[in-house]
Amino acid sequence: MTTITKFHWFWAWDDEKEEAWLREMSQNGWHLSSVGIPGFYKFDQGFSKDYVYRLDFIRDRKDYDNYLQLFIDTGWDHLGEMGGWQYFRMESINGENLEIYSDNESKANKYQRILLLLVIILPLVINGLMIVSRRRGISDVFGIIFIGFILIYIYGITRILMRIGKLKKKI
Amino acid sequence: MDGDIKMSKNINKYLPLTESTAYILLALKQPLHGYGVMQKVEIMSENTVKIGPGTLYGAFSTLEAEGLITKAGEEDRRKLFVLTSKGQEVIKEHIRRIEILAKNGAGTGNW
Repeated sequence: MTTITKFHWFWAWDDEKEEAWLREMSQNGWHLSSVGIPGFYKFDQGFSKDYVYRLDFIRDRKDYDNYLQLFIDTGWDHLGEMGGWQYFRMESINGENLEIYSDNESKANKYQRILLLLVIILPLVINGLMIVSRRRGISDVFGIIFIGFILIYIYGITRILMRIGKLKKKI
Repeated sequence: MDGDIKMSKNINKYLPLTESTAYILLALKQPLHGYGVMQKVEIMSENTVKIGPGTLYGAFSTLEAEGLITKAGEEDRRKLFVLTSKGQEVIKEHIRRIEILAKNGAGTGNW
């Protein structure tokens, strides 16, 4: 069996684009086999299939088995986890649109969990960058990386907030 | 009397329920696991309500935290839940309101 590893970067707020990309890969005969390192995807070659991919976000470890079982019972295959992102797959018959969230409110909750994590780890990220800068001295290059990082962070939080807002309006 | 007012106040903060939540509570009159609830809701609602696993998992967590349902055991990695007495009061009040709505809407078929 032919296997390839592809690199493709998706931001947390682009999860729907990621789902669409994975579906397209499967339609071309490349099926996601595992995830692990962020941005790297392993694919096995096979027959073209209309697989629908759905990404959930959950970090709870205590109830993980029960959580996964519910998806498996419903017909979803669990392909793996990457930093809290759960990769699920199910074959779509006649182009049927398969969803793991049946209403916007619960879908918005998923983005709220991502947002919460980003807000919680922000002080840690800043702290880490500070420690590095103290050790190495603040060079111009480091200053630019620092500012760039914070800007991406703020941008990401804004995008996720916008997504939540959009979903809440549709309720 | 005071107790009644207090009780109804407590219940009102959970109302109105979404259609999915109302069906989940109705299904949990008997202890069921997640997939059991999904199947039961589909049958009860005559296929008008379909609940995704992500939505149901979140609903279970919320309803458990609110004390409307409680864990009733475990079956091969599947948690079973059942309605609490508070959950029963909430769904009963919700249905009472829906019946009032249905009574008011009884003539709409002739519009």
